[in-house]
Amino acid sequence: MFVLSQIEHNLPMPPHLLNQPLVDAIKAELERLFLDKVVANLGLCVSVYDIRSVEGGFIFPGEGCSTYKVSFRLLMFRPFVGEVLVGKISGYDEKGLHVSLDFFSDICIPGHLMQYGTARALDGRWMLKTEDGDELYLDIDDEGSIKGDGLGLLAWWAADEEEGEEVEAEE
Amino acid sequence: MKIEKANAGFLTNFEVLDFLRSRGAKTDPMGCLGAVAASECKVYEYLLKTPACNQTRESINEFVTRCESFKLTNADKLNVINWRPSSAADAYAMLEECGKRFSKDERGEARDEDERVEEFLEIVKEVFPPPPPKPEEMTE
Repeated sequence: MFVLSQIEHNLPMPPHLLNQPLVDAIKAELERLFLDKVVANLGLCVSVYDIRSVEGGFIFPGEGCSTYKVSFRLLMFRPFVGEVLVGKISGYDEKGLHVSLDFFSDICIPGHLMQYGTARALDGRWMLKTEDGDELYLDIDDEGSIKGDGLGLLAWWAADEEEGEEVEAEE
Repeated sequence: MKIEKANAGFLTNFEVLDFLRSRGAKTDPMGCLGAVAASECKVYEYLLKTPACNQTRESINEFVTRCESFKLTNADKLNVINWRPSSAADAYAMLEECGKRFSKDERGEARDEDERVEEFLEIVKEVFPPPPPKPEEMTE
């Protein structure tokens, strides 16, 4: 779910931060730049993990700030393929389900990636028809886990072990 | 910006939780102001609801040594440590091709996969403390 990413960046240090110790100032500036933002191909930045090295401090002609070459590690939220995540359903539409992990809510599970037999009910909710003809509904605020090729609610598994295994077998 | 290493190591949920705690993250919304960013607090609150909330470094180390005979990949271990499977259904979801891989033991002899999954779940249960009861269950 979480990985570290090592990054090197030429960081201009704005003069108003010069009254702080250098490391604190760099950290504050890095947090302003990266925190809570999605970096392309890396994921969502959760936190600045550590600063590994600071070099330089050059003042380029015509600039009012010193530029440091900083090497640091960011704590990124980036799930890998096949990872299990547990989140809450925050909504649904004709394309699929929207799932929220509290801090990250941009997860969409399209209908064709749900388990075999999942279809939309008349009232618009998504449901799974089991082999015995039971209808299991996916409701807002239900908890479930996302898998590479399917989705199930924790409650289905907790409620009935047998049924849980059946759901698994259908994948 | 230059990405030196996109993946400089995976972290378990516990390690992230530990890191955020050491930075002073709290669940109290006012306590968060100043020390850590609001987004970090949200991650912290989410992680407190996962099995990572009462794990320790020792219990994770113990799990890694005890599950060696199962020949798990790192991704498998990460899933198991993060979510603490309590039933066979959970284990099958978290371990890739669980059935096929668990049908042999460490010496390559054929074994019943269900028995082996049970054995594995027993280790998980022993090593990791059970998740604390949810608040609504306690009031009932």
